[in-house]
Amino acid sequence: MKYWWIQPSARALVAVALPLLVPALITALIWSLPGNPAEIICPPSICTGGEELAARWHLDQGPWAFYGHWMSSALQLDFGDSWRVLTGRPVIELMAQTIPNTLILIGFALIPITVGSVLGAFQQPSKRWDSVLVFLSVLPVVVLALLAAAIVELNFAGSGDDGLGYWVRMMAAALTLGIADGALSGSILGNRSMFEQENQQRYVGISILRGESNFSNTLPNLAGALVGQYRSRIVQLLSGAVIVEVIVRVDGFGALLWRGTLMQDFGVVLAAATVFACLSSGLLFFQALVEVLQNLHQRRAPKLTLESTEVVR
Amino acid sequence: MNRRHLYIALAGFCFVTLLALAWSAPDLPSTIDRSQRSLKPWEYWPLGTDMNGRPLIEYASQGARVIAIPSFLAGILVAFFGMMGGLLRCVEWPTIQTMVQFIGEIVGALPRMVVILVVALLLPTEWRSLMPLAVVWAILCAPGAIDEAGAVAARLGGTRFVEALKAHGFGAWRIYMHHIVVLNLRPVLVRQGAEAMMTVAFLEVALSYLAVVEDQSSFTHSDNLRSWADLLKEGYLWLALGIDSGHVLFVGLGLLGLVVLTATALGKAAEAR
Amino acid sequence: MKKSWMLGGLLLTSAVLGTAVEVQFYDESLPITLNPLFATTMVDNRAHELYFDRLYYNNPTDNSLTSRLIDESQTKIEDAGKSLRLTIKDGINWHNGKKFTANDICFTIDAMLNVRTPSPIAHYYREHLASCTVEKSNVAKVTFKRVYHNPRERLKFFVLPKSEFSSTAVQPDTEFANQPVGTGPMKGRMGTLAARFEAHTKTSHHSPKIGAMKMSQAQDPAVQISTLRNGAMHGIVSVPPIYRPELQTESEVQLRSYDLRSWWFIALNTTSGPLASKEVRQALNYSLDRSELREKSIGFDKNDKESPCEFISGPFVQSSAYYNHEVPPVEFTDKRKAEALLNAAGLEKNGLWFHEGKPVALRIGMDAKLGKEATDLLTQIANQLSEAGFTTRISKISSDDWNRKAITGQLTKEYDMLIGKWSFGINEDVNDLFQTRSETKFQGRHNIFNYSNPEVDSTLVEYEKARTTDGAKNAYHKLHSQLADDLPYLFLWKLDTKSAWRAEVKDITISPYYYFTDINRWYVSKSK
Repeated sequence: MKYWWIQPSARALVAVALPLLVPALITALIWSLPGNPAEIICPPSICTGGEELAARWHLDQGPWAFYGHWMSSALQLDFGDSWRVLTGRPVIELMAQTIPNTLILIGFALIPITVGSVLGAFQQPSKRWDSVLVFLSVLPVVVLALLAAAIVELNFAGSGDDGLGYWVRMMAAALTLGIADGALSGSILGNRSMFEQENQQRYVGISILRGESNFSNTLPNLAGALVGQYRSRIVQLLSGAVIVEVIVRVDGFGALLWRGTLMQDFGVVLAAATVFACLSSGLLFFQALVEVLQNLHQRRAPKLTLESTEVVR
Repeated sequence: MNRRHLYIALAGFCFVTLLALAWSAPDLPSTIDRSQRSLKPWEYWPLGTDMNGRPLIEYASQGARVIAIPSFLAGILVAFFGMMGGLLRCVEWPTIQTMVQFIGEIVGALPRMVVILVVALLLPTEWRSLMPLAVVWAILCAPGAIDEAGAVAARLGGTRFVEALKAHGFGAWRIYMHHIVVLNLRPVLVRQGAEAMMTVAFLEVALSYLAVVEDQSSFTHSDNLRSWADLLKEGYLWLALGIDSGHVLFVGLGLLGLVVLTATALGKAAEAR
Repeated sequence: MKKSWMLGGLLLTSAVLGTAVEVQFYDESLPITLNPLFATTMVDNRAHELYFDRLYYNNPTDNSLTSRLIDESQTKIEDAGKSLRLTIKDGINWHNGKKFTANDICFTIDAMLNVRTPSPIAHYYREHLASCTVEKSNVAKVTFKRVYHNPRERLKFFVLPKSEFSSTAVQPDTEFANQPVGTGPMKGRMGTLAARFEAHTKTSHHSPKIGAMKMSQAQDPAVQISTLRNGAMHGIVSVPPIYRPELQTESEVQLRSYDLRSWWFIALNTTSGPLASKEVRQALNYSLDRSELREKSIGFDKNDKESPCEFISGPFVQSSAYYNHEVPPVEFTDKRKAEALLNAAGLEKNGLWFHEGKPVALRIGMDAKLGKEATDLLTQIANQLSEAGFTTRISKISSDDWNRKAITGQLTKEYDMLIGKWSFGINEDVNDLFQTRSETKFQGRHNIFNYSNPEVDSTLVEYEKARTTDGAKNAYHKLHSQLADDLPYLFLWKLDTKSAWRAEVKDITISPYYYFTDINRWYVSKSK
């Protein structure tokens, strides 16, 4: 394709725009609501000093001023303070406390997905297992999370914040995340069909006749699609993490976002949504990079040996 | 009657059951009656009762009322977006295609639950229902449907396919609607739409469960209605503590299974021959 | 020999007292803030009682007004009763090791008087306090805006450390809100999953025997009960009534009363359509079957002689001196009376009740957190009113919206009825609930639907002006009768709150309202 660079460029552009767009959108939506968050703490009819509070939170100069101030602080990793979840605690501290738990959760959840992807690449398991995989794919995350929560509560209620209780909680949550909502079965079936289709291409047959392995030929061509699939799985895991962390009671970033939403803590919601957007951006940028490298690899001229040039002559 | 007809019949039956449940839902749950608590389906027809003696059929019907129409609409929307994406690949509009791709990348990159929570947070209380969230969910799923339908259209040949059919004397409507959409895009569109319908139902259960756990008003329905999440919450007590509410969990799972069956049957019925 | 006896005694004492054990308990939720100036929930108040001291408090044993911080033998009333000279006890230290001085008392008062402190609690004290002067490092003179017959009653606020703030304009979003410094028996901080407490022993006025505590957010009551039973947790602050019978049979768990003097109500929007008519409100009163509500939502057992739930007919609990026992509560529905009243009010029945040609539709809201104590109360009330011929629309109201909008009178356009609960400590002043709202006069702060009745207002003024207990009692008895007739509220019941604690937690005294006032006496024994 002549304009192969359009798609990766579009992805890269989106990757840059996303962390700016998401907080802008949320700011605009916050301003569309009646009242302001300062009134939660200081209802005007029973409390004075609310104006000063609104000024401290930069809510008194309109959405652009708020957004501008928030973005310039965020670039210096200052996401402001929590307004309601843990009033006064810097949001960056809350994030520092919760993000590692979410990363551990996602990391462990990626294990079954990666195993599934590798199995699918090797055309395993055979199609007679498809009904089991389809059954797994329709298990909703909330049902599996309930099961995980039940196991943890039965055995570690009241002591699940550290030690063995913590790790059991994390493993149960990670397994839930890695299996539910089609995560595992999607990685197996998706990769299997992708490699199956690619293996049927003529160039693969020719490469096998030349004595090469089909992986060394198909993998570079599928790199972009594989990274794209992985990216969408990770984004799906990030979404599912919100539900799993709340139900299984993991002190993670998704649970923080949920609490911020319930308590209308816009400081936390804004920061959390932006961090999610940044994570997504990073993955998108990585995908764009892989696509560029893949296309460059596909378009490079093959190295000719001395014998082959002599034959041509 | 071949397999396709069987799947269509199954999907129709499941969906009609959902609609019938939704239509028969009471406006308010009935009064508590603890003398009838935790009765099994064979003890209290048709689905038994919960820990407060309330018939589970009320939960089933009210939950269906919450889910049925919004999830169906989400499915239709996703299928529609997919159809537009597929048709776009068959016309020579590169600017529009680039714009759609750009917007699709942005939308596709957003973690869906985060967006849904932000929208749920910002919805005024009087607007709280599953419908706005289902529409947002459909928009978030649209890029996937557009990409897949676009890939199918591209494999057909895109504009060349259209030109070839025009040369055969077919009109534009027949080419686009019948040959492209019905004959070729149908499996993708129906499958994507069915998946969206299923995931909206799961989304509703998840959001309602999270709200029930916090004893808060749900984001997806008014408080006079019960969700299937209430069944799962009670069923969880059987899992965790052995309390006599196992049948409640199975009723909840069964209802979710009804939605899954509808979506799966629809997808199978629309598969390419 | 003497040393080994001492060592043995110490080891035995610590084995018996088990001070190394962290006492874990469930509360309704985590505190919103640990800055007492911004407390909004009962959970906040309970947590603050552990981290801070109130300048004056009511002794839970005999209700006498006392202080851990002030040497009462040296307290003097001055300026014809408008000032109080307070002398601080020796040896009191903050959690950060600094000495507690008169500066801290005056700082706290100045912070409350500063209009730039956005605190609803401070707003209340501005009505009573005029100023505070530091005369010596251990002597502060507090001046009031008028003469009070018992000025110490106006000094029951939590004291804040001057050293932790840069100005008297105290803001809610500082680090102090989750890592407080107080003089209370416990120090610590709040996390995302729990609030933690450690004994504050480096001070003369506290000697807690429990070394550490952890407050976790309540989960499903069945899960809480299960974890309490198997020893993973030590206590539950509030056990829903339905679960109390099964705990009563447990030998390792004890149920204890927590006196909250709380009563439940349905506030009626007297400015909205048909509810503006007293007859309609009275008809609603007779349309409710409180007995059925109590049985189904609270799980009331007719054979239970010590029922936790007692009907009321006015804004006090029956055990209160202010309760007018001549006004009987309405326990059961009386359809004939209700219909007669509605007809008298000009409503017509055609299946449903119609007012001015439109069916009467009642929008009912309920404070969401009440759902744990009274299962499905909102639905039960809606069902009863539907049976009585009204259309209903129900919603739960989040705690934030309840505190921010409901009690500040901002839901008058959205709701016709609001179900809630008021809790009181020793002070049962209900003026703020029924007085005509006035922001300039600082009246009616918690008047939910902006109810206004001149006769009620004048009765409330009588109470304010009363200088004797009998005078106050008479005023409130009169108020009770007036409200039972005019019905800005449908009064439901008083519901006892019970806590559950494992038997190894000994010498538990639960003080009314603040709960942990006597925490110094609690200890954990290894033997049950």
